[in-house]
Amino acid sequence: MSFLEVFQYTRQDSVVHRLDPRSKLVMAIVLAMISLLFMNIVPLLILLSVLLPLIGLARSLQRWAKSMSGLSVLIVFIVIFNTLLSTVANPFSYSIALSLRLIALMSSFSLFFLTVHPDELSQALIQMGVKFEFAFAMSMAMRYVPTLGQEAYAIMDAQKARGVELDRGNILKRIRNIVPIIVPLIIVSIRRALSIAESMESRGFGACENRTYLEQLKFTRHDWALVLVSVVSFCFLVYVRFYLALPPWMSWGLPF
Amino acid sequence: MALIEFNDFSFKYVGSDSLALKKVNLSVEAGEYVVVSGPSGCGKTTLCRAINGLVPQFHRGYIAGNVFVDSKSTRENSVADMAGITGLVFQNPSNQLVTLNVEKEIAFGPENLGVDPAEIRKRVEHLIHLLGLEHLREKHPHEMSGGEQQRVAMAATLALRPKILVADEPTSNLDPQSAEMILELIAEQNREGMTVVLVEHRLDVVAKDASRLILMNEGSVVADGPPEDVLLMDICQDIGIGIPKAVEVFKRLRSKDLHLPEVPMTGEDLVRIFREVVEHDSA
Repeated sequence: MSFLEVFQYTRQDSVVHRLDPRSKLVMAIVLAMISLLFMNIVPLLILLSVLLPLIGLARSLQRWAKSMSGLSVLIVFIVIFNTLLSTVANPFSYSIALSLRLIALMSSFSLFFLTVHPDELSQALIQMGVKFEFAFAMSMAMRYVPTLGQEAYAIMDAQKARGVELDRGNILKRIRNIVPIIVPLIIVSIRRALSIAESMESRGFGACENRTYLEQLKFTRHDWALVLVSVVSFCFLVYVRFYLALPPWMSWGLPF
Repeated sequence: MALIEFNDFSFKYVGSDSLALKKVNLSVEAGEYVVVSGPSGCGKTTLCRAINGLVPQFHRGYIAGNVFVDSKSTRENSVADMAGITGLVFQNPSNQLVTLNVEKEIAFGPENLGVDPAEIRKRVEHLIHLLGLEHLREKHPHEMSGGEQQRVAMAATLALRPKILVADEPTSNLDPQSAEMILELIAEQNREGMTVVLVEHRLDVVAKDASRLILMNEGSVVADGPPEDVLLMDICQDIGIGIPKAVEVFKRLRSKDLHLPEVPMTGEDLVRIFREVVEHDSA
């Protein structure tokens, strides 16, 4: 699952990291939609040649490369099956384009998730009108995932020590083996939730209609510029795609 | 009226057969440092919850009597209303940290109460400096040790500028070194004028700073007074309270008819008192 790393926030100090999450969201959506507009190798390569420098600007090329090598198995799979089973004219060329599109799509969204801290994300949601309670629930989920994971391991160890053989037996038995892990985990989590609620109540959670925020996100000139460039290039490309014919070199494909 | 007033307060949790608190009468004045101790299940935690209104506002059940904190009845005021008066630090540090970094954590309380962002920033900086959290600023709670987490939890509680700091066994999940650090921080807060109610069983560490020791058993207050008096009572043995070694020495000497002029709380106390006695005799 290492290819998912490209969707995980990494703490860096870069131009891209400093941008407002909202402008980055616009950019990511535009880039993703552009990758869905085209189904030819050349335009997708051009798109990637825009995406890669952006990821480089976010100082995350290494992580990107690692994720993509994790993805390579899936890509090989896509290429082989599409080539063999697809009914289009040039199946190999088509499946290469499909893989490029997948990479472009992932890279577009990774540009957002790599550079937006979950806190910024929930702050962005709040400033876009989402209720604080909902946005906060999301950031709390992020907060407690590792804690729950740790707890699950502790329970597994405890059950193994009592002789539960978690990784023995056929599939049915293994599925049944989950029960002694899940039941205590649920009970522990409910207790934990109560105690978290106590602590939040004690600190005035939901007390005041006009909750303040230590840090508000601010749209800077850079953000406006980014949104403008994104929207204009999107409109331009939609126009090119649907009202003009692609120049022949752009619709070039492999002959098989 | 005292800062904290329990008037014949009884409480029973929903689903429980016995009273968690039985007719507790207690008054704590501003500036006191009260240590509460007793065997597990004796009602210490319920007592803490009653001071900030979690009992009866969050934990429902049978109530009799009243609790007034800063002249406000906990029956009529929500926990959030009490949040600016009573700050509660809990036993489990990781359950108190609900955000993804230290700054946000400290800001969480004041943000909830609608404090002005500039003022919150001031408090955050002050507390980060005060509790030595500079190196943790950007860290996820999961990346911190238990002691660090508890220090952050303290900071987050103090950010509300409470009049009373209530800590419910804040050190029971910590290693001895972190535990002493937390207890020292609490003592420091008290020296600065904060009223402190601390549930703690390591009396050898806290008795020297406390102005008052309360022992509880089965929901009732069974002893209440200055630590040097309470620790000499037989009730300590009866309910299994571990008294400080120095007090133990004092009692053994007394049983052999050797009377020291005051009750030592720590080893250093004991040495000092011995020296005074010896020098006095030789002079």
